[in-house]
Amino acid sequence: MTPHILVVDDEIQYQHLLRVNLEAEGYIVSTCSDGESAVEFVANNQPDLVILDVMMPRLDGFTACERIRQFSNVPIIMLTGKTEEQDRVHGLNLGADDYIAKPFSATELIARVRAVLRRFSPQERAPQQRYFTHGNLRIDFARAEVWKEDKPIYLSATEYRLLIQFAHNLGKVLTPEELLAAIWGEHYREDKEILWVSIARLRQKLEDNPHSPQHIVTRSGLGYLMPPIEKES
Amino acid sequence: MSKSLPPIELSDIYAIGQILTQATDWKSALDKIIQRIRPAFIFDNLVVYLLDPRLNVLEVTYAKATGRGHSAQAEVAWGETISSQVLQSRCTILQEPDETSEERLKRPYLLATPLQIHQEIIGTIVFIRFGGPAFTNEAIQFGEYLAGNLSMLINYQNKEHELSTVESLRRTLRAQGDFIATLSHEIRSPLGFIKGYTTTLLRPDAQWDLPTQQQFLRIIDQETDRMEKLLQNLLDSAQWESGRVQMDWQPVRIEALLHDLTLRFQTHHPELQIELHIEQPLPLIQGDPRRLSQVFDNIVINSLKYAPNSPVIISAERTANQIELCFEDHGPGISAEYLPMVFERFFRGPEQAVRADGSGLGLFICRQIILAHQGDIFITSQPGEGTKVHIQLPSPPADPALSVEAR
Repeated sequence: MTPHILVVDDEIQYQHLLRVNLEAEGYIVSTCSDGESAVEFVANNQPDLVILDVMMPRLDGFTACERIRQFSNVPIIMLTGKTEEQDRVHGLNLGADDYIAKPFSATELIARVRAVLRRFSPQERAPQQRYFTHGNLRIDFARAEVWKEDKPIYLSATEYRLLIQFAHNLGKVLTPEELLAAIWGEHYREDKEILWVSIARLRQKLEDNPHSPQHIVTRSGLGYLMPPIEKES
Repeated sequence: MSKSLPPIELSDIYAIGQILTQATDWKSALDKIIQRIRPAFIFDNLVVYLLDPRLNVLEVTYAKATGRGHSAQAEVAWGETISSQVLQSRCTILQEPDETSEERLKRPYLLATPLQIHQEIIGTIVFIRFGGPAFTNEAIQFGEYLAGNLSMLINYQNKEHELSTVESLRRTLRAQGDFIATLSHEIRSPLGFIKGYTTTLLRPDAQWDLPTQQQFLRIIDQETDRMEKLLQNLLDSAQWESGRVQMDWQPVRIEALLHDLTLRFQTHHPELQIELHIEQPLPLIQGDPRRLSQVFDNIVINSLKYAPNSPVIISAERTANQIELCFEDHGPGISAEYLPMVFERFFRGPEQAVRADGSGLGLFICRQIILAHQGDIFITSQPGEGTKVHIQLPSPPADPALSVEAR
């Protein structure tokens, strides 16, 4: 099957440069000009590889990469004018698989694309899921939106990250230390009070009855979990 | 000999707390505290010495004299010696007169206490009473309490001052950083295409037909031009920055420049419609014709880039002492928030930056040229309706020798 590659760059000229080179390799190429439409495209079309520019209007490449990672493990190559090491590391931390610094040569581009595609055969990839449903709750990872029945729920950035931490670990008890380290950072491992406040606030927003929560449940002495929902008849 | 003073009340302490938290500077706070605490705490002279850390000497920074101290002016003790002692001993010192002189001014009671932040002494505060009453334990405690609060306030103000210095330094650095970042982006962008398309043509594993090859080479050619132009602009702007620009002053006929401009654009950009409205005759001005043409060209090219389907209307008229030019287009306009910045080096509107290429140097250079002519350039714009670039050039001629200097 011919690999389908999404090229995301706000400069039309770069889209063209990448397109001619990739098409010469026989790949199918689609293009987007900003991060937001790239995330949407990945959610709807499931390409085999994304080449993502960093400096873009609307949603920059780093943020787009982070958002794509919440629902898809499509290989991502960051295309960057910034060659500083910390930018590279930042990109890789957010889940990018490789990066190419501008200016680049066409041969380097093709070599990297081939290598990344080889490493990630389509079979290895988990099924991609844009939406996550839990009872009356629905998360749209691509748009970073949360819905309860038909009403949008407005979460702070931290609350959203906390919620998707539970969604990604459905049925698994997460300890306060794990949650604090994952969302606030290693230094916060002991600051349980912030976690308590945030979980309480999240329940206020998500639960029908915050005192008898259905989405984020406490396991006394262990931590919190999002319980798997049994399919009812 | 001396009647006892009323005690310092808790309400006095609260009032002092309030004065301190609302203070904008420590001297006026001290004025208010002195006023508030009297007569429970009295003195004839009060002096604050601050330590100059570079020279390690005490500097009088605040002095207040009341009553007897006031009339005696410079003839009496102001606590210099005791301050030095405090600096050495790092603690409060009380000094009482031993001889009983008839003259009160010769019998000073001194209370001196260090001003300190953590372990570091930043100065001293000295209270002087001529001929008593002696400082009671309560008065000494109050003096130390005041010294502690004053130290915090002084420290806070010093830090605020340091912060604003650091802040302005940071702004300068950031402006420099932005400049370099923009520059490297502007250079890297054409370089990226030249590198990209050249290596595309050189790919050993791909074949390109002749029209494709031509297309790639045209892009490489255009990008080389873009880089050349960027470097030229950069050099120009650097020269303007350092004031090393040589002007070629001569009598200039503005309408001739504008007619040339129209002709040039008709040849190279036949799609662009230029309307010229000149109120004849315009006076001759003293100017550099090549640079003025550069300004006019730049403005019209901007319209061509950002308002591609709009005609450009150029009008010129003379007023009492200047020529007023206006270049108008009916393009998308510039939103008010960006208007003040368009003449800054490397400024590009965020939307413009995506739509068309450019270095963000053009208008900066235009402004420098017009300023060198002792004129003025500014932009008015209605978003959605269009943009007007106004240029005012003085006539009769400005003194050319002055104009470069005057920047």
